[in-house]
Amino acid sequence: MTTLERQFAQTVAEHKSTIYTVCYMFSQDADEVNDLFQEVLVNLWKGFDSFEHRSDIRTWIYRVALNTCISLDRKKKRAAEVRLTMDINLFEDRDEDTKQVDMLHKRISKLQPFDRAIVLLWLENLPYEEIGQIVGITAKNVSVRLFRIREQLKNMSND
Amino acid sequence: MNNEFENNMNETQFEDMRQQLNTLKKKLGEQEIVNDHLMRRSMRNQVNKINHRYNIIMALCVLMIPYGYWCFVVLCHLSLAFWIGTSIFMLVCGAATFYTSRKISDPGLMSHNLIEARRKVASAKKFEANWLLFGIPAVILWFCWFVYEIYQIQGGDYNNGFFWGGCIGAIIGAICGIKMHFKTQREYQDIIDQIEDLTKE
Repeated sequence: MTTLERQFAQTVAEHKSTIYTVCYMFSQDADEVNDLFQEVLVNLWKGFDSFEHRSDIRTWIYRVALNTCISLDRKKKRAAEVRLTMDINLFEDRDEDTKQVDMLHKRISKLQPFDRAIVLLWLENLPYEEIGQIVGITAKNVSVRLFRIREQLKNMSND
Repeated sequence: MNNEFENNMNETQFEDMRQQLNTLKKKLGEQEIVNDHLMRRSMRNQVNKINHRYNIIMALCVLMIPYGYWCFVVLCHLSLAFWIGTSIFMLVCGAATFYTSRKISDPGLMSHNLIEARRKVASAKKFEANWLLFGIPAVILWFCWFVYEIYQIQGGDYNNGFFWGGCIGAIIGAICGIKMHFKTQREYQDIIDQIEDLTKE
């Protein structure tokens, strides 16, 4: 393993939960989440060498993961052999924690992909400026969109 | 700005969602990337291969005792002492192989604590490397004894099948043994490197 590969493996290990969470929120089944996870890792690897640490590594990982998930969601989808994923199936496990997670997934998956990204980042307690940097809009726009998402989520809970 | 948004929200609903997200992160944090499993499986396969080889060596060491009697005593008319010496050497080789294999024969070796697994693999590798310090002089000694035994029965005439058969067998055996030794050492080192890669995380 080269130094770069070691650094990458370490970065992925540190941020695996973040990456998988994003993939899960943009997936409808276990196969899709595994495809996305694989695809995100490939894209992270492609950009890892040229990542210049101008922004926080977490911001960069979110940007790559969300871009991958949103664009893949639009393309719907290509077959990929899964080589790397997590040893978990959130779509089939039936324990109490997974039921809670499933409730979150159901709520978020009703939103449009771009709104999904914003609310996910907001739930992670990221400041509006950072959310804006990741999804490529201004902080003010983030605020406006969150207001709209709030209305949607309110309506969902009223249904 | 966050506060402005939150004030307008159903606070409980979003606290619930945050809680659910934290639950998800916690569950995922406890998981391994499956690649880790593949690496563990690959290391387990390598260890199994080495163990399999050790089992063959141990079986050969034991079989060598009756075969040695037939070959050296019955066929070549070498001394009984030579056969006993050869048998003792075979038993020592078998015991040393058994001792090394015990270090790595636990089926759960690669499933549990990798630091402990690394220690055991490194210990097996070191023992096997040190074994040559005894093994090579012992083989040279055995071969000299073999030559002497041939000399005794042939009265200095080395131009016979036993002698040349023994020499060719010894050379082929030595080449195979050295190749197998370096192969095993390489495999041990691969396992150690892979464990180090995994535990660096």
